[in-house]
Amino acid sequence: MSQHNPELAGISAYNQSKPGKRFDLFKATFTLPVILYSIFLILIPLIYILFLSFLKSDNYGGYLFEFNLENYGEVLNSTYITIFLKSAGIGLITTFICLLISYPFAIFLRDIPEKRRNFIMKLVMVPFLTNSLIRTYGLITILRKNGVINSALTGAGIISSPLPLMYNNLGIIIGMVYTLLPFMLLPVCSAVAKVDQNLLDAAEDLGAGRFAKFFKIYLPLTLQGAFNGSLMVFIPAIGYFFIADILGGGKAMIIGNLIKNQFLTARNWPLGAALSIILLLFTFVLVRIYRRIGGKLDDLGGG
Amino acid sequence: MHRRFALEKIFFSIASVIIIILIVSIAFYSRKDEPSSQNSLNVLNWTSYIPNEVINNFEKEYGIKVNYGTYSSNEELLAKLTSSREGTYDLVFPSDYMVDLMISRNLLEPLDLKKLQNVNNLNTLFLGQSYDSDNSYSLPFLLATTVFIYDSTKIDRLTSYKDLQNPELENDIVMLDDQRIVIGAMLNACGYNMNDVHEDHLESSLEFFNKIKPNIKAFDSDSPKTFFITKEVDAGLVWNAEAILAREENPELKISYPAEGFTLSMDNYTIVKGAKNIESAYLFIDYLLRPEVAQMIVDEYPYISTNKYVESLPEIELKQILANGSYVENVGSDIKKFDKLWAKYK
Repeated sequence: MSQHNPELAGISAYNQSKPGKRFDLFKATFTLPVILYSIFLILIPLIYILFLSFLKSDNYGGYLFEFNLENYGEVLNSTYITIFLKSAGIGLITTFICLLISYPFAIFLRDIPEKRRNFIMKLVMVPFLTNSLIRTYGLITILRKNGVINSALTGAGIISSPLPLMYNNLGIIIGMVYTLLPFMLLPVCSAVAKVDQNLLDAAEDLGAGRFAKFFKIYLPLTLQGAFNGSLMVFIPAIGYFFIADILGGGKAMIIGNLIKNQFLTARNWPLGAALSIILLLFTFVLVRIYRRIGGKLDDLGGG
Repeated sequence: MHRRFALEKIFFSIASVIIIILIVSIAFYSRKDEPSSQNSLNVLNWTSYIPNEVINNFEKEYGIKVNYGTYSSNEELLAKLTSSREGTYDLVFPSDYMVDLMISRNLLEPLDLKKLQNVNNLNTLFLGQSYDSDNSYSLPFLLATTVFIYDSTKIDRLTSYKDLQNPELENDIVMLDDQRIVIGAMLNACGYNMNDVHEDHLESSLEFFNKIKPNIKAFDSDSPKTFFITKEVDAGLVWNAEAILAREENPELKISYPAEGFTLSMDNYTIVKGAKNIESAYLFIDYLLRPEVAQMIVDEYPYISTNKYVESLPEIELKQILANGSYVENVGSDIKKFDKLWAKYK
């Protein structure tokens, strides 16, 4: 292939002209920290978790060196499957709401001058400067029974009794959408911004309305960005146990809570490890699908 | 051009090597910077349990530096102890069942009561509890119990778990987010022991709970009192200290003990096996056993003091509490049953 591509051929010629393999101190010193980081903080813990997931719990937070697959069998227990399904439900709803918010915003942003557009994007990033746990606690004062929204609405006489905005699934979804929305906004906005204006003009000339323009042009051309955003919203949404705990009143368990409980209260690290591995495989499958439809891994990391 | 680039490269390489050496040496140096074993004490305790003032006074009086760390569950304490080097911690405060577990795993140093002048200040009622019947490894520090708390303007009474099924309390109850305590309470409600692991009994506890479920607004262990202070809920099953603090804010709140039984949780002074500052640890325990210090602790965190000179409930009531409540017991591998059931509760 590369021989037919003049550009690639040029590159390989350039590579050949360099003296063969040689230890490059410059490259090594700058990549070493990243390599060490990946090995010690990602690879080794991951291998440890994988290893742990095949062991047996000693019921005291330790483990016995008895190789078995019991933990994976346990995961398939109906109780845990229900939690997986419920998490997926919360994740999907969160993702869908984020998509619904992001598209109109992105299309609106496309048409305004670049300077103001940059300013608005900066505003989107501002909440990131605060710790998400603190922001979640902040939401309590807004959503609770005597919180800002309910006091304002009852005070204005619009509603007679406070709305149940938190300590239920609604609260969890509000919290998830609020926390994860930027992960959807950024890829969708950049995808929408790249849509060729000529196509839109042509569509308009041919009599396409707003909806036709959206479904025939924007959506197909930005599918990759949308999927990228969906991935980055969906995956954390099934794992952010603190949002489920704080805004859901601890009533709803998502996969994140389930894993946390295994490590902290049930003292069953092997099962927690097995659940983590399953979650990881699940994520891996989603990323594979993403790549299959043509997505790039770099876009996931860059946000 | 080429040469200049190469020079730059060499310069950066040297600079980065120096930076790496610096970082590594700082890391090594800071390891040596660990507190010296002389005149220091490494304490690991529950979050919000001993007021800072109490610790500061001790440091001033004895010239011993207290390195104070915290944990928020017994399991976290166990994980910290087993994953650190022997001698990292001196004094820890495990609860009942964890004392039992730690003794069986040989993690505790036997206590020499002769070294404690103030040991007689302890109310003998609290000595010799089931988890360490001769107090050879532990001495009781504070007693927590689960209690009902309710707004007396909303409901007349709350003394039995059945009262929690009252339809007037729809979406109006907060409970501790703790599987052993909540499932234990429901087992009590059905007439079983809270440490019962019989499948049928666990199943009937779930049935009982399902009638309360529509009334539950939240499970929260961090600060259930906030729910009462902000009037988010009107009833709850919470720790005694939380209930008392909530009542201080809102005098309409009433506290009662569940008639069918409730959870007791005793936290204990224990010295860790291989502790490096055993003498300091004894001094600190002896200091905490002083009546005025014990008083300061319960003034700030109103659990039940084990000190007989501290203003507390009448003796008869204390006896009744100890008789009606039970400790969480270690149930071994049956913990899995609780874990699965808890997922169904939620």
